[in-house]
Amino acid sequence: MDDAYSTHPGASPAPGSRHALHTSPANVRSFRRAFGYRAELRLMLAPYLLGVVLLIALPAGATFALAFTRYDALTPPAWAGLSNFGVIFSDRLFWIAVRNTLAFVALAVPLRLLGALALALLLNRRRRNLKFYRMAVFMPGEIPDVAYALIWLWIFNPLYGPLNNVLSSLGLLGPNWLSDPNTALLSLVIMSLFQIGEGVVVMLAGLRGIPGDLYESAALDGANAWQAFRRITLPLLMPWLFLLSARDLILCAQNTFTPAFMLTGGGPYYATLTLPLLIYQAAFDRFWFGEGAAMLLMLFGCLGIVLWLLHKRMRAWGYAGDV
Amino acid sequence: MSKSAANSNDLPVPVGRGLRTAPLGTLRRAFPTIGLFSVSVPGALTSIRQRPRRVASRALVHALSVAVAIVFVVPLLWAAAYSLRQPGLPPPTAVEWLPSPLTWSNYARIFQLAPLGLFARNSVLVVAIALPVTLVVASWAGFAMAQLRGRSRQRLALLAIVLLMAPVASLWLTRFVIYRQLQLFDTIWALVIPALMGSNPFFVLLFYWTFRRLPGELFESARLDGAGALAIWARIALPLARPTLVTVAVLCFSMYWSDFISPLLYLKTEARYTLPVGLQLLQQLDRTNWPLLMAGGVVLTAPILIVFLISQHVFWQKERLAGVAE
Repeated sequence: MDDAYSTHPGASPAPGSRHALHTSPANVRSFRRAFGYRAELRLMLAPYLLGVVLLIALPAGATFALAFTRYDALTPPAWAGLSNFGVIFSDRLFWIAVRNTLAFVALAVPLRLLGALALALLLNRRRRNLKFYRMAVFMPGEIPDVAYALIWLWIFNPLYGPLNNVLSSLGLLGPNWLSDPNTALLSLVIMSLFQIGEGVVVMLAGLRGIPGDLYESAALDGANAWQAFRRITLPLLMPWLFLLSARDLILCAQNTFTPAFMLTGGGPYYATLTLPLLIYQAAFDRFWFGEGAAMLLMLFGCLGIVLWLLHKRMRAWGYAGDV
Repeated sequence: MSKSAANSNDLPVPVGRGLRTAPLGTLRRAFPTIGLFSVSVPGALTSIRQRPRRVASRALVHALSVAVAIVFVVPLLWAAAYSLRQPGLPPPTAVEWLPSPLTWSNYARIFQLAPLGLFARNSVLVVAIALPVTLVVASWAGFAMAQLRGRSRQRLALLAIVLLMAPVASLWLTRFVIYRQLQLFDTIWALVIPALMGSNPFFVLLFYWTFRRLPGELFESARLDGAGALAIWARIALPLARPTLVTVAVLCFSMYWSDFISPLLYLKTEARYTLPVGLQLLQQLDRTNWPLLMAGGVVLTAPILIVFLISQHVFWQKERLAGVAE
């Protein structure tokens, strides 16, 4: 029964109660103790912040610096100015990888979002066995990437893979999937469409947060199902859609690595060579760390711009993020 | 299909979301439990003219849900079934639901082909170190954030969200360089060290959201009794956050157990490999022996499935989802 009319997520704890804790006379009097308490809190925060500096801030800054140096992990880095960018811009493979990454993101992100929205709307109407359906949809996303890639490598096998066996039993001739340059990238997209469970769960939570009264008054006003969806569900779900699209953009821009690495190695004819794979090859196969870092900068510069535009759009629609 | 349609008419109709049951809406407001417990009332109140459409739509929802579940689960079941196929048989040319004869020999064979036992032990070791550290660091950080005052708390929460958005791939190269400088390269510590930052900013946020929802008076009275932050965290906050603790533990286990990229980038010695890289090694040894590779996939996946199924009832608590939604 835990699925029925859940609490409205907007019901946040009263902020006043804890605020009073810091301004009450008792605390003013015991200032020293309060100060000690806050020092203790800072100490508890320290490992996390230290880790963030060591594992995120420092590497991110170093990536930026590395992009302007020549570095092969053996000899000390040497300043190279913008030459790394010149090298990658004149590299044909770089542009192929850019095109493939863009194509993957442009196909996968909208399809994944639509799929998650559709599944959430579908499952939101269920009461019985919801747990089972939720688990079924959630599971493929939790399978380790390597195992997931191997399973799909087998499923996509053109000769005896189950997918083409199913198609041929329906009288269809399946394509060669991963070994055909025209369908290889599409295969990776298809594979990623089954890992939308987290998105479904987040959207289900979002749908639960919409008060049922809204639908009732809409029904009183004679709204049909589509109008209710268009005017109530969609606007109230927008923050979640924004959040998920931002997350999905980031994921899809970099998560092509394991599938491409395991399934195709970037082939056939560079059809699935995406930027993360090219960066891996440049840095860890050829030790061109400078070029690799320059490519990373390009990738995440573009991602940053897209995210910033998304954020601006969201602000303009009045969804200011409050955490 | 028709059977399910007949059955579905007896189900409690989701009153609050039903769009054509306006009178029920007012009823529900008067008796909030009506949607939960009454079985016959909604059906009775629905006018006869609308009933066939409703039945049809419910049947459609039912059929679609089943179809979705099949589409999502069947590839995984296929793979699991295929792992029981006798090696050496010609591959099937038609859809094969269950191979015959069934054999477990592939599972024994993969452990002979590659030292998967050793890799599994390495994986367990990584999780055994990373999991407790993550739980402590993330819950400390979440607790401190929840206890701090307005501005700095707001900034820290924002920082965590920005970090959540930070693409991990951008850190591959320079983490490699830093690990080499710190002599962590090609040791287990290169895999474990993300635990130092709570593994994932999302874990910190989960704890923060949980602790923030606890009533402040609890902590206040403990402080008046002279308890320090660490004592309040250990004796009050953490015991009340058990569902979050379990959730983070499950997600963290899954994260380290499946991690393929870290060992691929930061390990060189085969004896230190973890199970995911071991599976890749297996693939390189025998590229087309699919039953064998599927067995490897099952071995790698099974612990995660088991952990998820065991913790299911805690994992899906609506409070947690509401916390995400907030």
